[in-house]
Amino acid sequence: MKILVANRGEIAIRIMRACREMGLASVAVYSDCDREAPHVRYANEAHPIGPSEPVKSYLNIDRLLDVARRSGATAVHPGYGFLAENPAFARAVTDAGLTFIGPTADAIALMGSKVAARRAAIRAGVPVVPGTEAPLGSEATDAEIAAIAESIGYPLLVKAVAGGGGKGMRTVASPAELAAAVQTARSEAGSAFGDTAVYIERQLERPRHVEVQLLGDLHGTVLPFVERECSIQRRHQKVIEEAPSLAVTPSLRSALASCAASIARGVGYTSAGTIEFLLDARGEFYFLEMNTRLQVEHPVTEMVTGVDLVSWQIRIARGERLTLDPDSLLTPRGHAVECRVYAEDPDSGFMPSPGRITGLRVPHGPGVRDDSGAYEGGEVPIFYDPMISKLITWGETRPQALARMRRALAEYEVRGIKTTIPFFQWVLTDADFIAGRFDTGFIDRKLSARNGAPLREASEAQQELAAIAAALSHVTSAATAPTAMAPAGSSRWKDRARSDAVRGGGH
Amino acid sequence: MKFQFDIADRGRTIEVQRKTAGYSVAVDGRARLVDAVRVGPQTWSLIVRHPESGEVSSVEATVVPQNGNGAVDVYIDGHRITVAQRTGLGRRARAAEGSHGAGPQRVTAPMPGKVIRVLVAAGDEVQPRQGLVVVEAMKMENELRAARAGRVKEIFVQEGQSVEAGTVLAVVE
Repeated sequence: MKILVANRGEIAIRIMRACREMGLASVAVYSDCDREAPHVRYANEAHPIGPSEPVKSYLNIDRLLDVARRSGATAVHPGYGFLAENPAFARAVTDAGLTFIGPTADAIALMGSKVAARRAAIRAGVPVVPGTEAPLGSEATDAEIAAIAESIGYPLLVKAVAGGGGKGMRTVASPAELAAAVQTARSEAGSAFGDTAVYIERQLERPRHVEVQLLGDLHGTVLPFVERECSIQRRHQKVIEEAPSLAVTPSLRSALASCAASIARGVGYTSAGTIEFLLDARGEFYFLEMNTRLQVEHPVTEMVTGVDLVSWQIRIARGERLTLDPDSLLTPRGHAVECRVYAEDPDSGFMPSPGRITGLRVPHGPGVRDDSGAYEGGEVPIFYDPMISKLITWGETRPQALARMRRALAEYEVRGIKTTIPFFQWVLTDADFIAGRFDTGFIDRKLSARNGAPLREASEAQQELAAIAAALSHVTSAATAPTAMAPAGSSRWKDRARSDAVRGGGH
Repeated sequence: MKFQFDIADRGRTIEVQRKTAGYSVAVDGRARLVDAVRVGPQTWSLIVRHPESGEVSSVEATVVPQNGNGAVDVYIDGHRITVAQRTGLGRRARAAEGSHGAGPQRVTAPMPGKVIRVLVAAGDEVQPRQGLVVVEAMKMENELRAARAGRVKEIFVQEGQSVEAGTVLAVVE
């Protein structure tokens, strides 16, 4: 098997790492602005697929299939985003005689339609959030939409039928905001997914977002995993995920797992997928939607179950049977948390902050995993999602996982661009977050309460050290000879290196 | 050598004297003994001793010059701390579009992108944080807002127009 990875950034590298571990060759594709990108350098071979605009490269099915043919790839992994949930792509891959590492085109089409997915959940006997029966196409008038909204009740959510990742989704508190929200959702959905159809759903009172990871093989076995908690969202986009959820008891866990599995079995689901639920304060849960792909947050599940989900996607695609122990998948070992590090400036409304990463210091040490597409000297392009890395920590307990995350965030330096690291440092010290008291509106409420105040200020001692460092850097750069730049220290440092070399290396 | 810095809107005076081993540094008159070793192109290991208390702190600091203005960003313990040089003319001018003080606000595009919607017209009264222009970049629509209340003097862009980082979108007075 030779696998073409139809993606870029951290997820392309994540998939290629699984390929290497399995002794499989990987093929990268890249757009004009990605020639230097790390996924290109990591792959066994790489091919250009066109201009930087996604529609001309990473979304260009013909170009991707052409590379597959030329490279002799036998399988295609779509990653997440781009074409991952495009049934036409899955179909084109299989029609070309290649293996699509993911669910069938039919399953993607069925569960990718939020309205059809709701029907599938209802058929499986799983409760759903009250909402529209049929999608509202561009022909639906404002008056019709207003009438439907009235029957569902406010506050409500307008969502793109083809949506995902918070794109094409708007909250509407009152009828006055409805028309504008529908327009924005349609326009975002049109440019992101090429489909302007939307639907309307009641917004539950302070729900949590919990979701169940699944794997299904080609022989009818579907296995659910311990839940992920993804309530920490900013504008409907997940920013911190963890597993397991503090709000889920063992009996609730088995109820969620069996509901998720029966939805997936009902549609003959194969490969990796996720069933998302909203969980209200009384412990009642409702089907939200299904993601027919590997998810961004899959590492937290891997960390608490020890299962390599990407490797299993590949094995399933090769026809292997799922031989995992179902009970162990529902028994978390320890706790894992993930922060999605974005090239955004959290101190000015999370504006995108593309540009060159002039310096990078990546955290290491016990329980730390950094799934990253960033590199020193690398440009964060304006064309794609601004996520540059996923930082994941594991601990025996939730407090230990959080302590490790705080430690790892302090080690993490991304210089040259602004990132959301200070935002995470702020959330990770919030008493309500630490106690697990949150819902999907938590971050937006906390941020608006700050009213633009800086997220994190250096201490007096740190400011003093910064002043000393700045002064010494000016003093030494004012000196002429480069050797004078690090006076006493330089030679000592070299001596030390020399003596280490004599002793046979460092420690 | 003597430096006048601004850090987080506070002035600080730093005096540095080279010693046989390391540096003697006075921070607003308080003495520190510093052993500084360069460990990377812009990165320093500092061991700072407070002579009166005997307290010692060890820290790794990376000093990155900002573009041309003499200021540096110092990275310490996951913080980015901007250290600006105070010039002889007094405190350096604050950016005109800042949210403090008076004068017209120039609302600029923080990144390259496309103008999706213009939400206000010249002459409109706007409230603090009211959206003015929506710019799409990196697949998300970003609403650029007024920092404080005022009246829209001029809008410089149209819907559908591509903008570069720093393009002035609107002026609010």
